[in-house]
Amino acid sequence: MSAITSFLAIFRGRRLATFGLIWLLIVVVAAVAAPLLAPFDPLDFDPMVRLSEPGWPYIFGTDHFGRDSLSRALFGARMAVLIGLGSVLVALSTGGLIGMLSAYSTRLGHVLMRLVDVLMAFPALLLALVLMALLERSVLNTIIVIGVVYATTTARILFGLTLKLKNEVFVDAATCSGAGHASILFRHILPNLISPLLVQASFIFAFSQLQAAALDFLGLGLPPEVPSWGNMLSEERIYITRAPWLLIFPGALIILSVFSMNLIGDAMRDSLDPRFKDDIAGV
Amino acid sequence: MFVYTFNRLLALIPTLLAASILVFLFIHLIPGDPASILLGDTATPEEIAELTRAMGLDKPLWTQYFIWLSNVVQGDLGTSVFFREPVLAVIASGAETSILLACMTMMWIIVLGIPIGILAATRHGTWADQLASGGAMLFASVPTFWLGLYLILIFAVGLGWFPSSGFPSITDEGGVFNLRYLMLPSLTLAAPNAALIIRLVRASMLDVAREDHVRTARAKGLHPARVAIKHIFRNALIAVAAAFGFTFAALVSEAVVTETVFSLPGIGRLVVQSILRRDYPVIQGVILIIVIFYMLINLLVDLAYARLDPRVSLS
Repeated sequence: MSAITSFLAIFRGRRLATFGLIWLLIVVVAAVAAPLLAPFDPLDFDPMVRLSEPGWPYIFGTDHFGRDSLSRALFGARMAVLIGLGSVLVALSTGGLIGMLSAYSTRLGHVLMRLVDVLMAFPALLLALVLMALLERSVLNTIIVIGVVYATTTARILFGLTLKLKNEVFVDAATCSGAGHASILFRHILPNLISPLLVQASFIFAFSQLQAAALDFLGLGLPPEVPSWGNMLSEERIYITRAPWLLIFPGALIILSVFSMNLIGDAMRDSLDPRFKDDIAGV
Repeated sequence: MFVYTFNRLLALIPTLLAASILVFLFIHLIPGDPASILLGDTATPEEIAELTRAMGLDKPLWTQYFIWLSNVVQGDLGTSVFFREPVLAVIASGAETSILLACMTMMWIIVLGIPIGILAATRHGTWADQLASGGAMLFASVPTFWLGLYLILIFAVGLGWFPSSGFPSITDEGGVFNLRYLMLPSLTLAAPNAALIIRLVRASMLDVAREDHVRTARAKGLHPARVAIKHIFRNALIAVAAAFGFTFAALVSEAVVTETVFSLPGIGRLVVQSILRRDYPVIQGVILIIVIFYMLINLLVDLAYARLDPRVSLS
């Protein structure tokens, strides 16, 4: 309970960040309850009503196949949450582990961190594009690719933080009391890294939305039949002059979600332990 | 400073070699026989056998790497499957667009990012600051292609002020005025990056403003504007200069998207089209060149950083 209270305390007096939190809760609810909330099947098309203006019964209008935009947007929220959480999970678990192990064992660090340096020599979206060129378009591959791209920055940050922490007195105390390496890393060092990891997670979540949308737009992200906000923009972009609303809604959903996550990340960073401030600079 | 520069150049070599190994391995990570991948679907068995011999594909992997590397060093990046031309020539044909786009974008980032950042920092806490930092955060959250599409809709289709797509070379008819084709793309590309610079200038100026030497300058009775520019901004510039390397990486990434939205004949669009066409030699060549370029930019940024802040090269 105290963890939740201290998390909510971050938002006290920060109206914008609170707005961000509320918006994200709405997105999560929409993602979970998409089949219940959606008025139509997101894949059902009806050529009779193609490119309908927003109104009743198609609140967000319909696309060029005559599919209901609102229903697609609701199922798109599912993809947004899935890709956000998935890439955060991949990035934090692999990047975090590499960073922590590298800082803890100097010999391992020489090898692993050089590898991270080399991967960081590739600009983020370019690395994602190249990896997608090798893989097939699928939800899982998109998650893995975005996760791997941000694993490098996570590794770099956690490397710096763990280097600082491993020389602290409590680590000496744990070593003296006979704690093993795994116990020192995961029971003594890791708990101190939770808040910087959460900050990092919020920025990765935000950036993963933009990267996924860009990949969808370039035709190298999710398979075209999957209803995602990026695919909605990508498919309807040639109708921008005839039906500009088709791009307004999914675009606004992406912008609001990224904006909200950035606001939350900023709020969390501001309330972070001052020792870590220099290391966390966003992604 | 000389020793520092030399050391930094030396440190570049292993990273560059490691990156070249990754780029080399790229072709081998694709399922299938590298020679037929490099030659595309239309290759005859004789052509495949010929390339296999020329590239030493029957030899061990590390021998192949050295053959490839020595070709690369001599400027031979292979032949494009799609264009049937040397990869280097294909990339060079997109260079003009991409370099001009990058320069115009950088200009916008500096012209918009730095003054607005200074304004937000000097008016810290006022509505001007809230508008600038809130707006910056919002622009950092906008997908580039979405912004580009709406800029086309408003300024090209609606108002007809700027062309919506393509870019004739500045050596063609129209000369320097052809740069108007890059107006909307460069603004699109600049928006999220200028937003980051605004936030960074503001944050680092607020940091510096708390330092003792600023209090001294104020106590001497210097004009607030002079303190803001000479004492605060010049020191804050160190952090901003360091961010330009990062901005370049973001530019390269987003140029891929922007050049696609505006159908510009640049290197970014070449990457996407080559991926969709499975023109692997071009993909490999472009990545290698971008990575080398990126590393050199980072080196320049580090050297500028060391020059602005002498403490760096001394430690």
